[in-house]
Amino acid sequence: MAVLRELVVFPSKCFRGVRSYFFSAPLFQNGSLKLNESVSKDGHALDFEQSDTKKMSKAMKSYMERAKIHDNFIKQQLHEYNIGKRHLANMMGKDPEFFTQTDVDEAIRYLFPSGLFDPRARPMMKHPDEIYPKRKAAEFDVNGRPYHSLFYTSKPNYYTLMHDLAVKFKQLDRHEDKIISRGIQNQKPTELFLFGSEWIPKQKIENVLLESLTDAQYVNLIKTFERFSQHPYSVIEKDFIMQFRRQLAAQVEIQQVPELMRDESGRPYMTYNARRKTSNATVKVIGQGTGVISINETDIHFFQREQDKKQIIFPLQFSDMLGKVDVVATVDGCGTSAQSGAIRLGISMCLRSFVNAETIERMRLAGLLSFDPRTRERKKPGQAGARKKFTWKKR
Amino acid sequence: MSLFGVLRKLPSFNAIHCHINFLGRIARQQPYSMYQPFVKEPTYSIEKLDQLIESGEAKKREFVPVKAARSDHNVSVFHDELTSKFINMVMEKGHKEVATKLVETAYMKIKQMQLAKYYKATTDAERAEIELNPIVIFHKALENCKPVLQLTPIKRGGATYQVPIPITENRARFLAMKWMILESREKERTVHFPERLAYELLEAFNNTGKVVKRKQDLHKQCETNRAYAHYRWG
Repeated sequence: MAVLRELVVFPSKCFRGVRSYFFSAPLFQNGSLKLNESVSKDGHALDFEQSDTKKMSKAMKSYMERAKIHDNFIKQQLHEYNIGKRHLANMMGKDPEFFTQTDVDEAIRYLFPSGLFDPRARPMMKHPDEIYPKRKAAEFDVNGRPYHSLFYTSKPNYYTLMHDLAVKFKQLDRHEDKIISRGIQNQKPTELFLFGSEWIPKQKIENVLLESLTDAQYVNLIKTFERFSQHPYSVIEKDFIMQFRRQLAAQVEIQQVPELMRDESGRPYMTYNARRKTSNATVKVIGQGTGVISINETDIHFFQREQDKKQIIFPLQFSDMLGKVDVVATVDGCGTSAQSGAIRLGISMCLRSFVNAETIERMRLAGLLSFDPRTRERKKPGQAGARKKFTWKKR
Repeated sequence: MSLFGVLRKLPSFNAIHCHINFLGRIARQQPYSMYQPFVKEPTYSIEKLDQLIESGEAKKREFVPVKAARSDHNVSVFHDELTSKFINMVMEKGHKEVATKLVETAYMKIKQMQLAKYYKATTDAERAEIELNPIVIFHKALENCKPVLQLTPIKRGGATYQVPIPITENRARFLAMKWMILESREKERTVHFPERLAYELLEAFNNTGKVVKRKQDLHKQCETNRAYAHYRWG
């Protein structure tokens, strides 16, 4: 039947190896499959199968029908999507051949502007594969016999993955034993560098395995992976492990340091609006300076406390810019500690444009470039304060 | 696609909690923090930073957000971490300035007393022995006051025994500072806190005085209760 040919069918052997977790090109081994014909792997009907295959069960029939309906539906959606894309391209005056998904999104945003908050509620047009969840192909043959040996676990892909990990673990142990027996004990294997990546989240693994996992199962999987990657020779299986990890953006690169601006006299400067608790500071750091500090039109003695003055100087001293730049700041709101903290953050953020990448990373590690999110904790009902409770009475 | 576009698409750690459910947090017995659990403490000391970068530890932190520096962190030459800790312990009701003044007055008094001794000394050998830096004196005094074991009450068979157990570095430091402060807050109203603190620190520096005695009493008690040490393991 032409319908079933479109379905992706897994090979009837057990899963071994990585590629079976991901959809590959449709491989339909048995050619056309007729509903009322029994087909075994060799091609001739076996004796004990004869009684089963004369009549297909109702369950099997309805399954086939549902699969056919779904397949037709997806085909229809795909057709509509492609036609729709071409229409959109014509409407927007672009070339239909090179109309990408980003262009589609832009067109939808232009043609159907939405004031809804949640992006998922706004109108969208995406490829059917992204909207309709992928289904597994036929997991059993016409006689109802499952292809996968772990089918009756109801999560064959998940358990195959776990079994694979166990097998690989043993392989690595054997490898280690071999190396020890050859007497190359002193040779330390290269370490698997996992920093800069994290384990892919539960949703992604579910999409890959096409099975829903419980939280406990996901945690178990990650723990197994952690244990596996801690093996001294895990670097051999680096490719396998990295398939289940996703890269993170380096924190410094996220920051996107802005370029210096020039004022009338040609001096470079940078501005930043910083906050701490409820105080706001507008800080301007001007290069080619002599270390003049102006806060709300007075000098650093705007702050009476030593601690606050030290906070202002901290980023300048840390990055060796004390006496090389001028600082002009206006601040309002809250108390002295918050105001000095806000100015400190402002100065640090402005200094990023003046110093090199290494110093920026050092400032980041020192906590100078992080926004301080601490605020006053709210008072709770039934208590005197944020933490203080009323007098406890036994009766 | 530009490099920035790629980088923005890459997932990154969000350092701050987006949804803060106070009551939920309390129910879960987690310490409340505006930061996510994986956010690292800042390292502001230049020597420690150099060490981090040399050893390669800094590379591991490239992808992890760092907490904001505290209000008492700075790179001044006069900055001492232990003194900051001590000032916080001396502080009451949030009066940081008062506490700082008390401790700094105590340091000044120590310097004065040591200088007096220095000028009184006749030989070079004597002068070399006198320590003038109050911060060095403070560090050494605390070291001398730190206990090595502590007692903890453990119930066995209806009776509560004081069992000696090992002590962590932080706990030892805390106890030393606590005792020092308590001894300095004694009843004599004529002699104020900074002066008393200065005397106590100098005595502790020489391994004498009330605080060191307190530590030694604790050690003696631990020695007498040696027999119960195995109660630690039930």
